[in-house]
Amino acid sequence: MPSTSEKTSRVSVEERLFSLVLALIATEIGLTKADILSTVQGYRQRYVSGGDNASLERQFERDKDDIRELGIPLEVVEPPDDPGSNHHLRYRIPKGLYDLPADVSFTADELMLLKLAATVWREGSLSAESRRAMTKLNALGIDSSDPVLGYSPSLRVREASFEPLSKAMDRGQVVAFLYLKPGESAPRRRQVEPRAVVLFDGRWHLFGTDRDAAANRTFLLSRIVGPVVAVPGGTFVPPGEGQAQEALSELDALWNANLATISVQPGSDAAVRLSKRHSTDSPQSGEGDTTVNLHFTDLNVLADELAGFGPEVLVHAPAALRSAVRARLVSVRDAHTDALTTSTTEEGE
Amino acid sequence: MSAGPAIGASDKLTFLLSLVPFLMDHDRISVTAVADHFGVTPDRVREAVNLIAVSGIPGETRQYLHGDLFDIHWEELETNDLIVLTHLVAIDDSPRFSAREAAALIAGLQYLSSLPENADVDAIASLMAKLTRSASGAPSQVAVAGTDAGSTIAVVQAAVRRGVQIEFDYLNARGEQEQRLVEPWRIQSVDRDWYLRGWCHLREAARTFRLDRMSGLHVTMIPTSPRPLEAEQPEALFEGSASDLEVTVELASAAVPLLADYGPYGAGVPGGDRVRRTLGVAHFHGLKRLVAGLAGVVEVVGPIEARAVVRDWAAAGIARYDEPDDAGFDPLVGE
Repeated sequence: MPSTSEKTSRVSVEERLFSLVLALIATEIGLTKADILSTVQGYRQRYVSGGDNASLERQFERDKDDIRELGIPLEVVEPPDDPGSNHHLRYRIPKGLYDLPADVSFTADELMLLKLAATVWREGSLSAESRRAMTKLNALGIDSSDPVLGYSPSLRVREASFEPLSKAMDRGQVVAFLYLKPGESAPRRRQVEPRAVVLFDGRWHLFGTDRDAAANRTFLLSRIVGPVVAVPGGTFVPPGEGQAQEALSELDALWNANLATISVQPGSDAAVRLSKRHSTDSPQSGEGDTTVNLHFTDLNVLADELAGFGPEVLVHAPAALRSAVRARLVSVRDAHTDALTTSTTEEGE
Repeated sequence: MSAGPAIGASDKLTFLLSLVPFLMDHDRISVTAVADHFGVTPDRVREAVNLIAVSGIPGETRQYLHGDLFDIHWEELETNDLIVLTHLVAIDDSPRFSAREAAALIAGLQYLSSLPENADVDAIASLMAKLTRSASGAPSQVAVAGTDAGSTIAVVQAAVRRGVQIEFDYLNARGEQEQRLVEPWRIQSVDRDWYLRGWCHLREAARTFRLDRMSGLHVTMIPTSPRPLEAEQPEALFEGSASDLEVTVELASAAVPLLADYGPYGAGVPGGDRVRRTLGVAHFHGLKRLVAGLAGVVEVVGPIEARAVVRDWAAAGIARYDEPDDAGFDPLVGE
């Protein structure tokens, strides 16, 4: 722990946290901050009676946050006879809200599935959460059936924005970030109330309310090009369950409504990759090329992807996609056509 | 039985709170059995039990007297490595999941539901409902739409289970097509991409294949050889591929994160908010696709051959649009 080593204390962090949880569960009416600091293991050793306990108080504030992060319902109770008084606030953990509901149980097969689900996040984002969830499941003492052999599925969120966005979402914190919208060349700063983070069609999307547009918008995490920062004083009430499903069904509706028709060169990278794309209609044989129908959510995102395939792909419809892909190829050709020296002087200023 | 990454205080606290109800349900249990069940080292179990045994609540006297503490049968622990919990304080049940813990498992389940054998939608839905009820707050709004892994995965999976080799045509990242005979070890996935890890007889080496680059897949009757240890390690998925070619690109500084996968490093500042970065690439075959897919964002400045490859790729693409569009092509035919 930073900056709190003024007194040597042999009580470890986990012992202090464990003792705090036990003390707060054992109390019905709650403990005041003074009670906690003067009596609970890990605090009492550093408590100065009648003295300055400011650093110990800050320690307690951090410990409260850490405990709540673990899903432990640490409550603050205002004394009914003295509302608004900070000194008489009481802290407790209601046992009924701490315990796993009595009617919840898991079968061996369910546990096997949950173990596999936890390994999906084996690295990076949500891996610590998955690990802790498994520890809690293990407390139930169920022996799981053998995990499915031969599978090792994983979600690896590469985007650095995932972590700060998902945390801000839980806290109802408005965030700001630079967003490079597909099809544009300069990023713009966006202020967003994050409502859901979803993986759709292989891409992570943020669903949220854009504060400037005062409307819901969907952002690609891969296009967030700067740090995600909290907007000072910007909070909102998280709308709770259902947001992620709403985001997914909106994307799904968009995806179904948009259909592109393209030709791909047989045997090319484009043919192999695109013909197997989720729910593309079965390819039909044309003369030479293969025709593929592709659903999509965002015309500019698809145009970027298709331009990458160069001559392996020819877009037939919609016309807007056809011209978007052609325009991208023209811009790439032109940017790489001048002699090297000319192009650097032009753009190097 | 690896302890995983560095164990923080949060993990240790979770372990302590989970261990108590587990021990309560097991009158006498060996340290190693507990370690196996939780997937941790026996030392970590002993450390936790030693801490639990001296922990408790301040109590009426605020002095942490004997009756206010957990207790264990010390002799059993010291002589027989057995844990016998003899006195309980404050907790007797497993803690609920946090909103993020529940969300992690729910999103993991949604992702798994795209695997052929987990297609039992009702079972998964009921499991997700249980997780939601077991969380102390509404699960974080993280969701994963099903990705269709296609029919290839079911065929490969069956071969893995039956222990037989498979044969397929493989289009590699350089655009070359070859027939492969492979001993399939395990199917792996990262986000929407699915891979097969196995032994390639053509290369006589362990290889990773993208399922969407396979065609003409067929299952042989040739049994697979016993698997080497390496086959069990999912981490072996991305061995560093040779990236001998260095390419310098110019782009807006804000767009640099888009190239994160290519390990860009600094190569001078041309001025304004533009920067130059050097990327390591295995071959121009991949580079031209990368750059054409980031039109208006990334420009290759050198070497000159790389610029030419990108230019020719884009020009060949444009040429296709200058041909007449398949005289009277009707995009609706055959829908």
